[in-house]
Amino acid sequence: MQSNAALEYDYSVAKLFTYTTILFGFLGMLIGTLIAAQLAWPELNYLIGEYGTFSRLRPMHTQIVIFGFTLSGVFATFYYVGQRVMKVSMAESPFLMFMGKLHFWLYFVGALAAVITLELGMTQSKEYAAFEWPIDVVIVLVWVIWGISVFGLIGIRREKSLYISMWYYIATFLGIAMLYLFNNMSIPTYFASGGIGSIFHSVSMYSGTNDALVQWWYGHNAVAFGFTVPIVAMVYYFLPKESGQAVYSYKLSLLSFWGLMFVYLWAGSHHLMWSTVPDWMQTMGSIFSIVLILPSWGSAINMLLTMKGEWNQLTENPLIKFMVLASTFYMLSTLEGPIQAIRSVNAIAHFTDWIPGHVHDGVLGWVVFMIMAGLFHMAPRMFKREIYSKKLMEAQFWLQTTAVVLYFTSMWIAGITQGMMWRAVDEYGNLMYSFIDTVAVLHPYYAIRALSGVLYLVGFLMFAYNMIKTMTSSRVLTEEPQFRSPMA
Amino acid sequence: MDIRNLQGYASFFMTIFLVVMLYGYIVHLYRSEKKGEKDYEKYGKIALDDEVTSKPIEGDSHTKNESEEHK
Amino acid sequence: MFHWLEKNPFFFSVGVFVVIAFAGLIEILPNFAEASRPVVGVKPYTVLELAGKNVYKKDACYECHSQLIRPFKSETDRYGQVSLSGEYAYDRPFLWGSKRTGPDLHRVGNYRTTDWHENHMWDPKSVVPQTVMPAYKHMFTNLADVDTAYAEALTVKNVFNTPYDAPNGIKLGTLDEGRAAALEDAKAIAANMKNKDVKDAVARGEIPEIVAIIAYLNRLK
Repeated sequence: MQSNAALEYDYSVAKLFTYTTILFGFLGMLIGTLIAAQLAWPELNYLIGEYGTFSRLRPMHTQIVIFGFTLSGVFATFYYVGQRVMKVSMAESPFLMFMGKLHFWLYFVGALAAVITLELGMTQSKEYAAFEWPIDVVIVLVWVIWGISVFGLIGIRREKSLYISMWYYIATFLGIAMLYLFNNMSIPTYFASGGIGSIFHSVSMYSGTNDALVQWWYGHNAVAFGFTVPIVAMVYYFLPKESGQAVYSYKLSLLSFWGLMFVYLWAGSHHLMWSTVPDWMQTMGSIFSIVLILPSWGSAINMLLTMKGEWNQLTENPLIKFMVLASTFYMLSTLEGPIQAIRSVNAIAHFTDWIPGHVHDGVLGWVVFMIMAGLFHMAPRMFKREIYSKKLMEAQFWLQTTAVVLYFTSMWIAGITQGMMWRAVDEYGNLMYSFIDTVAVLHPYYAIRALSGVLYLVGFLMFAYNMIKTMTSSRVLTEEPQFRSPMA
Repeated sequence: MDIRNLQGYASFFMTIFLVVMLYGYIVHLYRSEKKGEKDYEKYGKIALDDEVTSKPIEGDSHTKNESEEHK
Repeated sequence: MFHWLEKNPFFFSVGVFVVIAFAGLIEILPNFAEASRPVVGVKPYTVLELAGKNVYKKDACYECHSQLIRPFKSETDRYGQVSLSGEYAYDRPFLWGSKRTGPDLHRVGNYRTTDWHENHMWDPKSVVPQTVMPAYKHMFTNLADVDTAYAEALTVKNVFNTPYDAPNGIKLGTLDEGRAAALEDAKAIAANMKNKDVKDAVARGEIPEIVAIIAYLNRLK
């Protein structure tokens, strides 16, 4: 096969998804910060009438950061990394180019419709799967088109062996497809009742405990296949490429992959401990959650060892800083999760603020850091300009790291305080606190969390500004950088 | 045998099966490298040398013939 | 064999799928027959209660309130008897929630009244000064969607054989009968409320969201 001298990678779809990553990232974090502040200062609920209450905004926050920000980031990096590790350009196939563009526009229209319907209160009320059925149909279509892109690109690849990142992207595709379809099985009542009532309304195919089982099988694993698997795909490409060091042990990366696939799905039932699901399943969830530490740490340690002998890059290159810290937070939250899955710990932690605390050290420290690092790495190559400001990046790094630490420490304390107060009894065995006591005591922690939200949001704005300046007015590069991203 | 038992057995044997496969895979990875049949670590270079014009680490003449894998 | 898998993306994908699908198959499917059986005495929701349940979903009460009392003394002391699987048999979707920013509501009907809810939804701080819950004044003017609730009841009756119209059970009937029954129930609740606009609306034959959601909350026992 000859390579055409004029042939270049085509990043047009990756660029489009980069824009939405920034847009939805800002929107999702803005709402997140607002609802954090609402818990500390409830008057903030009334800014825009019924549409501005915590009730409407919290589902929007979760759905926008998951389906808007994270998925955009996954797609953007896929359309970049996929071409490169398979050494094939999308420009070689007009069909794939068309599919890529269709993928983006359908996704974007679907995302806007999703935001509007959620704001109007149309929801099937499942956490992280709140969209009503018409939006679900769009999401399925978007996913099928992405599948065509993934496997189409694989079909015309030059590099015969699939790099480990591709393994993870394939797993993301399959995992989310399966989970999303099964969890969202519902019957539109308008059609089933012969045209009565709202056309948007649907009723779940599962009821009660079964619905809970399916939902948390989904909820847990959507985190696996949305927040872990594709982000690992990113770190396996961007960290080696940015540092110029091959993965420390490719064999370990393969092992961790299969280990993760094997173990992760079993751990879902740990969300339902002490509930009405069968005991053996809760125990299974607990055990597998602990086993899950092994493959997760396998990947994380592999990343840190990749930097072996090259730690000086950590001080010289802020991008490496972002990625190393992301890997570290990945280790932290994959250790914290299994601890919460131990039954006795779960008894205290469940229903408290420790759970959002855990989620956020994972997403803020690991997912968002990694996606931002990936986009920073891609920018000079996609836009052929150097990164606008290294100083700004450094400042952003420290600001956001502080924010994450404030977030999870305050929520750890809040969660454990609350969990202990709920169960505290006096010498006669009577409950010591009324529920409202356990709410009032959290005010300072909620205030700290709101502050950390503001810091993180400012950091994200610095990222957005840096990216936009890079796209538009930074110094033009004459040739593509090989490893380290050039920055002013 | 009721569905409960079946469920128990199925999960038990599938878990054993997957654990055996995973260990088999470890052995396979290290043994094939030791025997010199296969160098897994070279795949790590795919990420580093990823120009569209660079030579594939592992490419061959029938790369293009995999159209049946289109989905 | 392993190496062959790595080189064949299609079979590789099949392999990944089998590994990840397996856990779900074993964990979830066989449990279905058992967990969906209702405990004795649990009745399907009336149309008004369903309309209220949809308000509960629309304003995402489940984001801050659980409906699951766990088997600890501290929880049964605070909220009442432990939750049983069969009590949720008619909950589509389930509304267990995952976070208690506010207290559990699974048996709130046992210890809160229509009057209490009315005051609390209008201005939570007037009832519980330290609360962080927002007021839901819009529920007093927005109208509940009774037709959609009826459509939902009819759907679960036809598709899942939920026992509506059974002897001694909840009567569903035609759409007009369903609307009439909902209004009847709404009048009974409005009689215990003091908000003038709500009373007037119900007298006109309209059902504000607040009436529906109180019907739903009162049923949680």
